[in-house]
Amino acid sequence: MTNKQKLWSIFGPVLIAAGLALVVFAIPWKSNNSPATLQKAAVSLSPNVFKNRAIKVQALADKKANYVPFFGSSEFNRMDRYYPATMAAKYHHYRPFMFGSRGTQSLPQLFNMTMMAPQMKNKKAVFVISPQWFVKKGVMPDAFRYYNGTYANLVWLAQANPKSPYDRYTAKRLGELTSDSGTVASYAYKIERGEQLNAFERANIKVRIALLAHEDNLFSGFFLKDNYQKRIQPREKLLPKRYDYDRLYAQAVKAHAKATNNNDLGVLNSFYDQRIKHAKHIAGSQKHFSYLKSPEYADLQVVLNQLKKTNTNVVFMITPVNTKWEQKTGLDMQMYYQTAKKIKFQLQAQGFNHIIDYSHAGSKPGFMNDTIHIGWAGWVDFDHRIAPFLDNPQPAPHYHMNEAFLSTEWQNLTPTATNLQQFKAQHLK
Amino acid sequence: MLTWMQDLPNFTAYGTPTYFIYLLVALLPLGIGLYFGKRFSWYEALVSFVFIFLMFDGQSYQQAFSLVAYIIYQTVIVISYFHYRQKQNASAIFYLAVFLSLLPIIIVKFSPAMVGHNSLLGFLGISYLTFRAAGTIIETRDGVVKDLNWWKFVRFMAFMPTITSGPIDRYRRFAKDYQQVPSREKYLDLVAKAVPYLFIGFVYEFVIDYFFGQLWYPFMVKQALLSAPHLSWWVVGVAYTYAGHLYFNFAGYSFFAVAISYLMGVQTPINFNKPFLAKNIKEFWNRWHMTLSFWFRDYIFMRFVFMATKKKWFKNRNVLSSVAYMLNMMVMGFWHGVTWYYILYGFMHGLALVVNDWWLRYKRKHFKIKSTKWTKFVAGFITFNFVVLSFLVFCGFLDKLWFVVPGHH
Repeated sequence: MTNKQKLWSIFGPVLIAAGLALVVFAIPWKSNNSPATLQKAAVSLSPNVFKNRAIKVQALADKKANYVPFFGSSEFNRMDRYYPATMAAKYHHYRPFMFGSRGTQSLPQLFNMTMMAPQMKNKKAVFVISPQWFVKKGVMPDAFRYYNGTYANLVWLAQANPKSPYDRYTAKRLGELTSDSGTVASYAYKIERGEQLNAFERANIKVRIALLAHEDNLFSGFFLKDNYQKRIQPREKLLPKRYDYDRLYAQAVKAHAKATNNNDLGVLNSFYDQRIKHAKHIAGSQKHFSYLKSPEYADLQVVLNQLKKTNTNVVFMITPVNTKWEQKTGLDMQMYYQTAKKIKFQLQAQGFNHIIDYSHAGSKPGFMNDTIHIGWAGWVDFDHRIAPFLDNPQPAPHYHMNEAFLSTEWQNLTPTATNLQQFKAQHLK
Repeated sequence: MLTWMQDLPNFTAYGTPTYFIYLLVALLPLGIGLYFGKRFSWYEALVSFVFIFLMFDGQSYQQAFSLVAYIIYQTVIVISYFHYRQKQNASAIFYLAVFLSLLPIIIVKFSPAMVGHNSLLGFLGISYLTFRAAGTIIETRDGVVKDLNWWKFVRFMAFMPTITSGPIDRYRRFAKDYQQVPSREKYLDLVAKAVPYLFIGFVYEFVIDYFFGQLWYPFMVKQALLSAPHLSWWVVGVAYTYAGHLYFNFAGYSFFAVAISYLMGVQTPINFNKPFLAKNIKEFWNRWHMTLSFWFRDYIFMRFVFMATKKKWFKNRNVLSSVAYMLNMMVMGFWHGVTWYYILYGFMHGLALVVNDWWLRYKRKHFKIKSTKWTKFVAGFITFNFVVLSFLVFCGFLDKLWFVVPGHH
């Protein structure tokens, strides 16, 4: 073999493969998912729906389907027959598009929202806040990276404004949470310092977004978890034909009692068997938990700012915890109520007034699915409160943001009545 | 101070597929040069500097200073010892040089256990550089290093493809490659090996390890921790998925490092040779992290055996080799870090080597077992499962399971 032939035998296959791959990703594939795929994606809770763009943008832009984004976390995986998506399919006009799994707290949701900002403009949304997010260190870097890919990061960077304190705060968090490496972190730190990205950096972002968009269009319709066929559609049939809140509520309490009859905690039987029955050290295990001081408060603030930017009319829900369970673990319920109070203060001070506060509802019969997740009668009540909001026209919201909620002072403020009053006097007009 | 360095992008070696595009483009002129029989040393130094810089800038920029200080420190020791050795050869001076060379890593490895936080002296790859420096001192004492100056030594220490995680080369071997340019035919052979190595690396690192490292192993850990501090079947899953993760991650990385070295005309030794097909634990260490285990074999095991034989420390040859095995593996355990699980890991492997030797002697004496496919399978099966068990200890999961108090979710 001559050297030329040898070179060709080494590099020929690589060059051809690279050429083909480049062609595939450079072709601007159109994403056109069928209504069935969108339906599946809306309740799949799959991370590839969360961190990509094509599917959710198509769904939310679809006027006929009437999808409404629901943002939340692990409670969205509690799909009994009264689950919002099941109830909506049976009784309402809107269709929930569920964004939430364990770990999708404020910041992952911000990046999620940024990717579909145009589609959220002047629309409605539901946002479920768990006090459990507000731990001392905030969102875990692993969870953040799991739900937040380069695509979302770049889309956020492309629209970030280095003059906005909100974007500078987000940039700082992005740098920290992506473990400081690669171009994303270095661009983020630049924004944090208040500097504009230069022309080269912008072009780099643009090209990479384009390639990732093509990849997204090609692949993100695959590998969706089929919750719809398995957990939504079959249960629709179990619901009575006509909507009657009282009847549904009573029925849910009854069904819940039956589904939780192997324990006196009101926890689903299977959950009890797997997670509680054999576990030791439950007693007193949450005695020292506190959700009062956390960077999550500032993370929530940038989400609120995003909702203001898109002028989205949002209804919030603050989740309950199972009181019987927390009596065992020793969680300080006063602390829990105070957390809810602090969150509500932050929301109401800025005009986010549609709030369903379930923080005190955790002892109602049939309200909880397990230890810290709502379900059954809880879902019935939730549905009852959001449906009129979502199905009927609402007056436009008036949000007025206040940067004080980004400060470490607010993040670390213990929300006693005096402290809140003082904070109000100092920072809020 | 130095904010500019914090703001530059940081690129971990071989971290993402895009990294390879930058790296290969940068190395292309070098490859063309080698093809035409020229080694562009200055260009190579420049590319190496840039890529090493990118590994250590950004938020980990303190490490860059530790790295530079460390290399200067080691160069001073090694070159001084080299000059000394040309005239004299006292054991005490040799031991002093080795001790000084090991001092930084001793401080770094003991710091977390002693003072509770990582030492500022540390940087990614310090262990690997220690092996290179200490190995050079030993080779100098043996008189096999004849030609050494500070620039050659720095090039050896800071050889970019292998700087952070090996494979561990030896100065004498490296210098031979580095001082000459391979013939065109030889270089093409290297390139022909490098390309498939790169692609095997891609499959290991970015495809298979994605499943082990990102999906399966974390899932198993999460499930197993639900019943902490009690053992559950999930712990078995943790062990096997971690073994897969460790192998595909590290072997993938090693393929990259070897391939890039080849493209630079240096035949860095390979690090893995199908380790999970080993039929006994000794064979396993001839196939797993080979450059490390050979380093330990040559510089700890063999040295100890020679010395003990010379000084007649042991009457029984088998006792001698058992002690040498234990010493060898315990040192390796400590080298990984001063925690109970690394030390236990070293102890387990030392003991396994002793038991393995004993079994081979016992078998020869008492049974006549013919080696068949079946016996080979059983031997391989036992070895593999023992290794997986030792990795479960090694990965530190048990420490989390038993001793770390569960905090907030």
